[in-house]
Amino acid sequence: MELTVLVFLPAVAAIVVLLLPARQEHLAKYVALAGSVATLALSLWLFFTFDLNESGYQFVERREWVDLGAFNLQYFLGVDGLSMPLVVLTAFLTTASVLVSFSVTRRQRLYYALLLILSTSVLGVFTALDFMLFFLFWELELFPMYLLISIWGSGRKEYSATKFVLFTIAGSAFMLVGILVLAFSASTFDIQVLGQSSFDDTVLPLRWVFLFLFIGFAIKLPIVPVHTWLPDAHSDAPTAVSVMLAGVLLKMGGYGLIRMCVTILPGQADDLSAWMAGAGAVSVLYGAFVTLRQTDVKRLIAYSSVSHMGLVLLGVGALGTTGMVGATYQMVAHGVITGLLFVMIGLIYERTHTREIARLGGLARQVPLLATGFVFAGFGSLGLPALAGFIAEVMVFLGAFEQYEWAALMAIFGVVLSAGYILWMLQRVVFGPVRPEWNSLTDQRHWWEHSVVLMLAALIILLGVYPAILTDMINPAIDTIVLRVGA
Amino acid sequence: MPFLEAAATQSPTIDEWLLWAILVSPLTAWALIVLYFRKIPAVAGYLAIAGIGISCLISFVTLFNVIDADGAIAQHTHEWFTAGDVVVNLGVRVDGLTAVMLVVVTSVSLLVQIYSTGYMAGDSGYGRYFAHMCLFTTAMLGLVLADNLFMLFIFWELVGLSSYLLIGFWFHKPSAAAAAKKAFIVTRIGDLGLLAALLLIWSRAETFDIAGIHHWAASGEASDKIVTLFALGIFAGAAGKSAQFPLHVWLPDAMEGPTPVSALIHAATMVAAGVYLVARFFPVFEVSTDAREVVAWIGAATALIAATIALVQTDLKRVLAYSTVSQLGYMMLALGALGYVAAIFHLFTHAFFKALLFLGSGSVNHGTNTFDMRKMGGLRAKMPVTFWTFVIGSLSLAGIFPLAGFWSKDEILLDAWRYDRALWFMAATVAFMTAFYMFRAIFLTFFGEYKGGEPVDHHDPDNHFHGDPAHPHESPWPMRAPLLILAVPAVLAGLLNVDHDFGDFINHALPELPHHEGSTFEWGIALSSLGLALGGIGLAWAIYYKRWVSSASLRELFLPLAGLFEHKYFLDNVYEDIFVRGIFHRGWNRLLELTDRYVIDGVANGSGRLVRGVSSGLRPIQNGLLQTYGLGFAAGVIIFVLAVFAANPL
Repeated sequence: MELTVLVFLPAVAAIVVLLLPARQEHLAKYVALAGSVATLALSLWLFFTFDLNESGYQFVERREWVDLGAFNLQYFLGVDGLSMPLVVLTAFLTTASVLVSFSVTRRQRLYYALLLILSTSVLGVFTALDFMLFFLFWELELFPMYLLISIWGSGRKEYSATKFVLFTIAGSAFMLVGILVLAFSASTFDIQVLGQSSFDDTVLPLRWVFLFLFIGFAIKLPIVPVHTWLPDAHSDAPTAVSVMLAGVLLKMGGYGLIRMCVTILPGQADDLSAWMAGAGAVSVLYGAFVTLRQTDVKRLIAYSSVSHMGLVLLGVGALGTTGMVGATYQMVAHGVITGLLFVMIGLIYERTHTREIARLGGLARQVPLLATGFVFAGFGSLGLPALAGFIAEVMVFLGAFEQYEWAALMAIFGVVLSAGYILWMLQRVVFGPVRPEWNSLTDQRHWWEHSVVLMLAALIILLGVYPAILTDMINPAIDTIVLRVGA
Repeated sequence: MPFLEAAATQSPTIDEWLLWAILVSPLTAWALIVLYFRKIPAVAGYLAIAGIGISCLISFVTLFNVIDADGAIAQHTHEWFTAGDVVVNLGVRVDGLTAVMLVVVTSVSLLVQIYSTGYMAGDSGYGRYFAHMCLFTTAMLGLVLADNLFMLFIFWELVGLSSYLLIGFWFHKPSAAAAAKKAFIVTRIGDLGLLAALLLIWSRAETFDIAGIHHWAASGEASDKIVTLFALGIFAGAAGKSAQFPLHVWLPDAMEGPTPVSALIHAATMVAAGVYLVARFFPVFEVSTDAREVVAWIGAATALIAATIALVQTDLKRVLAYSTVSQLGYMMLALGALGYVAAIFHLFTHAFFKALLFLGSGSVNHGTNTFDMRKMGGLRAKMPVTFWTFVIGSLSLAGIFPLAGFWSKDEILLDAWRYDRALWFMAATVAFMTAFYMFRAIFLTFFGEYKGGEPVDHHDPDNHFHGDPAHPHESPWPMRAPLLILAVPAVLAGLLNVDHDFGDFINHALPELPHHEGSTFEWGIALSSLGLALGGIGLAWAIYYKRWVSSASLRELFLPLAGLFEHKYFLDNVYEDIFVRGIFHRGWNRLLELTDRYVIDGVANGSGRLVRGVSSGLRPIQNGLLQTYGLGFAAGVIIFVLAVFAANPL
């Protein structure tokens, strides 16, 4: 029951928000905040009551949903050490995006309702254990995203929103074929059962099935060369949507890779592991090189995400526990770090109305708090030790090096490149001579601004100095998966 | 010398919590300043002094404790986290090498903080300055105390962070912001090697533990090639931090930071971390001759290149910066030439006299508002304490008997002589140049006519210069006292190893005592190096004091060479213009960006247009209402799913 409440709590809050009378529109943000904080509290309660000594699914709920004779669609939810951290991450970032939206004034009720529905759909993806249910949640996320970008976005927002939807749907089409083939072979959509079955090439060669699923998840992650929707979507999306997009939506791809591709088809994953590791390393480098050319802060962060998500694929491709724990850690770490980066540039953009690196500069003098937060997030992004990203990166490298030394040695160059683009950006945005045009800017001052920044910063430090809080949870879940690959 | 009197060989008895307190004390000061006292300058400064003072006290306790235990090793380790089969520990390790480093770091840091209360007085970022200094000290102590490579790497990077923040302390100056970035990125290029070594050692030895790695290297279970690769990775990291050619280019630019920062971080401690790292893994380098050759020759080349550049600098602080690079090269040379003791001994003495020299240059700057030696002169009478301590530091650096630098440099020259005469020749040339450029600086700064300093720009809101550069005066006591205190070890520290006490003490940090120990003194080497140093001083005296030869005509004489030195061998141009801007930014990165925009996105947009063309017949459905799309989409999914089941009624 807990998971159902967790998944649909944001949706219920969304309905409440929509039912608010027009006169009470200003209450929308508080209702949304209450809903997201309640979700967060519940997710934390689940996190801390999660039994670390058990490697299977916990808080399981299973009901018959659609009975189709031999096929049963189930309403089947559950979390394990892989999905639990991602669920908490989603709840955290939902709260963060509601807080950072407090300055939104246009059509607030619809805005917050969509944001909350987005949260429900992502929580559904991370908890669904029926492949068709998973797919429905996966698709559900498109509709709030499309509206949020195209109504509250900026720049070429319709183009970007459409591009986002089309790329994802293209991937979904492949994924659906893969899902159906697997379901027909095993006569079930049950992910738990699928993850323990073995398949043969009856309907389609299994390698194809693997690739179909892989394409769906790779587009979401995204990896080069199916990544170009991401910079466009980010640069035109409102701040909160960027936070959700980079923070949790991309993780659906990484989660799918581990939960579906590797767990259900371990043999095919094994055959293709070198290609995955290679593609991950190429994504890391390609993303980083292109990042170095960006002149818009949001596009820069978006491309850096491509680079950082390449590490997830690299860790998965190594097919060892260390690498996949690292990949999972990287998803969480990138979620909070890049979330904070987008929050900071969002707060700066609200004041300066520009994200052009060339137009910004010297902000450390006029808005020292915003500058500090930005520098902090930047150092998180470049993998500074004692912050979350470092642990993840090193684990991915260690895991990858055991399996494919060449891929790990390629990817570590990303460490220098990320220092390059982050410090280059900081030098031009935050440091340097004061620009009189920004003299009248107000520094970070509202309680919601302080709380969102502090919340994310605290999490980044916590995950950097106390990694066991997650690794103890992730380890057993990944071990189970790796055992299946080895078998 | 009391070092060897205690014959006991049990572990040091110092409590574990005291060792962690060395780290926690400045960290607490940092946290308190950041959280509460950023804007209360007086408290911030004293808090930093208190935090680092406590560390310093415990460091001395530790040192004597380790001396009592005859240099034996104490190690306390705890599991931090596990990921798959990788287990990462946090732990402290104390031995002779650690104890020496602890004392050097905390004592110099303490003196620098005291000095800073005078030097930084009135700066708008006073609180932030001391916070960063505490962070640096914590990170540096963590680096020294770490009992495994993983933890060492963490603090190694944090040291890089604090260096970045302090070089860019006056971040509104474009040159400072650029220098901070350059320092971080260049050292991170070296860190790639360290990271690769970290990966390699886990995959081959399944341990990060320092003692474990020593054992792994000595056991012969790994091939020479692997040991060499590991050693070279370690050295790459060391070369970045310790500014070895070709990664030395960041250190001179780092002088953009406040001068006490240069004294502490970019002279005495952080830049010595690379030397410490190689020494920490010295047993690995002992196994790999190839890696050692690389260390020795890179070290020698660095020493020589930096010394030649120092000859032509006009900025007092840059003379010291290049001198630091050169001396770090010396230490590396020594390590490569199997001179583990000589290298650490020189690190030890150098920390004191180079910190002294930097603080002296800061004192000069405090009076004249400039570092440009062409605007100085004649300061000997106006700033007597600064002058005399600066001369002591310079004599020590030049290697004049019986000052500290003489003894440690002499050991390096001796090791070089025994290892390879060519290395000795390079090192001896450097010794001559060192004496020359230091006394060139002294004659230009302290003798002759005063040339007025740099006028104060009162329109610069960041300028907090109080005095009158036209009438320079001696610096206040908080600045003078550290100079006087540092002058003591700059004179006397060399005596510690006259009877090999220092060497024996730190040798116990190695699993096996080195078997190449010979006498540490030879008259021939000592006299020749002394002669070269006196020659250098004499030449500087002739040119810059007596002015028998004009320096301009000398420059004419050596024009192509002088030009090469003045342009720093054009390395910055090669790196920045050719590599960064040319090959990468305008070339490769741009190519990928264009690929992204036109090839990859071109395909995506092209297929979009194709679909649009086909679907123009279906246009009436596209009425632009999102509800319709949503409905259509939902209906489509449902129909599709139903169709699938209908077709397969199993």
